[in-house]
Amino acid sequence: MLLTYIIKRILWTIPFLFAVSIVAFALIQAPPGDYLTTFAATLAQSGDMVDQERLEALRTRYGLDQPFIVQYWKWISGVLVGDFGISFEWQQPVSNLIWERMALSLCLAVSTLLFTWAVAFPIGIYSAVRKYSIGDYLITTLGFLGLAMPNFLLALVLMYIGVVYFGADVGGLFSPEYQTAPWSWPKFVDLLKHIWIPVVILGTSSSAALIRIMRANLLDELNKPYVTTARAKGLSEFRLLLKYPVRLALNPFVSTIGWAFPQLISGAVITAFVLSLPTAGPLLLQALLAQDMYLAGAFILLLCTLTVVGMLVSDILLALLDPRIRYR
Amino acid sequence: MKNLIALFTMGLVLPAAAMAADYAQSPTLDAAVENDTLPPVAERLPQVPEVIEPYESIGQYGGVIRRALAGSNDHNNILRIVGPQGLTRWNADWTEPLPNVAEGWEVEDEGRSFVFRLRPGMRWSDGHPFTADDILFNVEDLMLNPDFGPVPSRYVIAGEPMSVEKIDDLTVRFTFAAPFGSFPAELASPRGQHPVLHPKHYCSQFHGGYVENINALLQQEGVSDWPTLFQNKCGDIEIPARWGNAEKPTLDPWVIAEPYTGGATRVVLERNPYFWQVDTAGNQLPYIDRVENIVLRDVQAVILEAIAGRIDLQARHIDNPADRPVLAENREAGGYDFYETYATGGTLLLLQPNLTHKDPELNEVFNQKDFRVALSLGMDRQAVIDIALLGQGEPWQYGPYEGSPLYHERMATQFLDYDPARANELLDGLGYTERDAEGYRLLPSGRRLSFQVDVIPVLFAEAVDMLELISAQWQELGVEMQINSLERSFFFERVSSNWDHDWAVWPAAMGWQQGTLLQEMVPIWMGARYGIGWWHWFQSNGANGVEPPDHVKRRFELNEASRAAVTFEEYRAAVHEMADIAAEQFEIIGTSTDLPRYGIVSTRLRNVPLSMPASFDYPTPAPTLPQQYYFAE
Repeated sequence: MLLTYIIKRILWTIPFLFAVSIVAFALIQAPPGDYLTTFAATLAQSGDMVDQERLEALRTRYGLDQPFIVQYWKWISGVLVGDFGISFEWQQPVSNLIWERMALSLCLAVSTLLFTWAVAFPIGIYSAVRKYSIGDYLITTLGFLGLAMPNFLLALVLMYIGVVYFGADVGGLFSPEYQTAPWSWPKFVDLLKHIWIPVVILGTSSSAALIRIMRANLLDELNKPYVTTARAKGLSEFRLLLKYPVRLALNPFVSTIGWAFPQLISGAVITAFVLSLPTAGPLLLQALLAQDMYLAGAFILLLCTLTVVGMLVSDILLALLDPRIRYR
Repeated sequence: MKNLIALFTMGLVLPAAAMAADYAQSPTLDAAVENDTLPPVAERLPQVPEVIEPYESIGQYGGVIRRALAGSNDHNNILRIVGPQGLTRWNADWTEPLPNVAEGWEVEDEGRSFVFRLRPGMRWSDGHPFTADDILFNVEDLMLNPDFGPVPSRYVIAGEPMSVEKIDDLTVRFTFAAPFGSFPAELASPRGQHPVLHPKHYCSQFHGGYVENINALLQQEGVSDWPTLFQNKCGDIEIPARWGNAEKPTLDPWVIAEPYTGGATRVVLERNPYFWQVDTAGNQLPYIDRVENIVLRDVQAVILEAIAGRIDLQARHIDNPADRPVLAENREAGGYDFYETYATGGTLLLLQPNLTHKDPELNEVFNQKDFRVALSLGMDRQAVIDIALLGQGEPWQYGPYEGSPLYHERMATQFLDYDPARANELLDGLGYTERDAEGYRLLPSGRRLSFQVDVIPVLFAEAVDMLELISAQWQELGVEMQINSLERSFFFERVSSNWDHDWAVWPAAMGWQQGTLLQEMVPIWMGARYGIGWWHWFQSNGANGVEPPDHVKRRFELNEASRAAVTFEEYRAAVHEMADIAAEQFEIIGTSTDLPRYGIVSTRLRNVPLSMPASFDYPTPAPTLPQQYYFAE
């Protein structure tokens, strides 16, 4: 039963991803001009110039003068065999550029998700159980602050404080000596030393949201008769809380996986930009700005795949967690 | 004294080894020389290295220059510190080209051919000799090779590309179909480095004409054609890939150690042990060991790094006048000071009407000189400067400033006086006397005399403020100018690839030096937004675009004459004749002189001039020779 459900869901992703690839490619092509117009514009903006003949020659070589459908076919037929094409801006195969960044992005997203849960779960329960206490008000205030403050602003403020008062190096994910080093245990430790800053920054707003959701859901459950009955029967308060109402209130936590991945990766773009993180976001943004379409296309396709996978995982987890979904 | 010894050794034709004691090297290279992984310094240098006189004092070895790149597409920022090591380079004052990679040159046949001599014993950064064969490879196998791309226009004269011949291993002759006196100046530009850009011994392994089984290599590297592979491995002028391969040998003072690729968070360059310049005491340059460029995405982060004292030399991205106060405030804590960079001419904001407008009525309006004169007289430049530019700058049309030998008074100063009465008279004289209810003049067809001015607001912050003030002043004349803010690539699509605009603005800080594009006077480039239609006609040899009037065609000829000029006097004469015509036509309207700009430099860094020209054609600060900068204790 569950297995057929999973297989069906996986099969559905294929036409979905196909549609996504067309939309993504069309959107990248939508702005006026192409990579070379942007290239010339960027250079002109900084007082540099490029030969017109060279632009025309490059346009022909890159096939940018061809109709949309031809360009799309060239791209997608390559993607099917694992060739993502070449990044115009970097003159490198796209596959050389994306994997490490996608991995770091994923790592950041998962860490942030775990951080969010670790913060939101106990605090959400606390503020529901101790409704309208001083602690609840305090958490609610902090939560709304976190929700209201844009991540990038928090990042800028933290960076400013770090630089001006502590002389700290707050940008990036690695210390200078590890930036180009191959992966090793010390490099991993170095990553842990740096990653907590973006994790906290990115985690604040989603934690705040989750705390509110947890609190609201739990409050609904706490007043239900079965809770009173269980309490009357002498079940310990802690066991009662975790075993029944919390379990029911947990659904939104699990469904966050589905949307948290794409949101964390795309929402992290500006924060990553400000903090100069070597993740996918800034490169994607730059690729879009430069209309470096194969690079941008590969990122968007991968992000969509991640979203689809995230949705799938969250649906499966929900089914496992909640019998009502499983037996429908 | 060292020079004397060098002269003697040359005169006596002593073996090169006899000079070994005379040259010193960085202590960081001592170990490599001792254990024989690197030859001694005298063998690494050319037989007669170029001797550089330090700007203030003989330096000492060591240290790291820290800088910042803003994201991708900032490859020219690396170029600016490394310098375009072409056959020639500009002197620090930007007045004449000097020999650089070449030891010298002779002009033959009234400027039709140029014989360049190379330095005997000069080497690429991997120790391989640099010879005439490298130049032939660059010219014949790349620049003139249609498979690789079109011939860059600066090497085309009278419709014919240049040709090159090897006289001997160290001498080459470039020949043109017509005189091309600006050739040495063109070679000094960052866009004129082609003849010595690629080392043949390394780059020929990616060249379709040299590799037997190119398809196997292409397959292995995952690219579709050899020019793409070649650019990926060896780079090209003006693409980031130029700094993307640490293995490619160069002639630069520092060579790439950590490359500039898509994922890079840091770009590091290390000293070239084979660099071919020494100071007057015989110390091999550069003094400084490394150049470390941190890649930051956000310009605000660059400023943050600067005030934290983690940047030693930077002008790009932080030279916006608005950022100056915060940088000045943190000067002491950050351990830096300012240096000045100045434009040699031109205007901060150039207003350009589209004289090839597709709408016949507006075309006629814009093409009347009196209309343009009226608008210039109706502009209160001093008020614009006082309000939008905080009083910095002076009213100016365009062209070089007074100190320049190319200064053209009429071009720079005509119609600068604010005279709204005269402006109204001129507009009345054109017959636009009817006005609508809001007081705007009407065209004969009954529509309002109104046009849009295209601007990219993010390009520089002052532009829109200035335009708003000008728009209000022109409203007094009964002329409506609407500000049309556009996204960057849409702007280019509209006003460069096409000519759909009414008016457009762009900064135009130009000093008319040899080798620069005189596009405000003659529509030979996409920045000539008064005549984009003419430019398209010009570059397609009449196939597309709009045929220009005779006075523009005459300027095309004069532009060719300016490129042909062998002496500066000839160049000046051609340019000034062009300027006379342009001034008479008065096609475009300038506003203010360029704003004073600045960079920051560590207080420990020495031999950095505190004032230098600002331009990509120069390109700042490379001609001041960063290889002779050094850190004081």
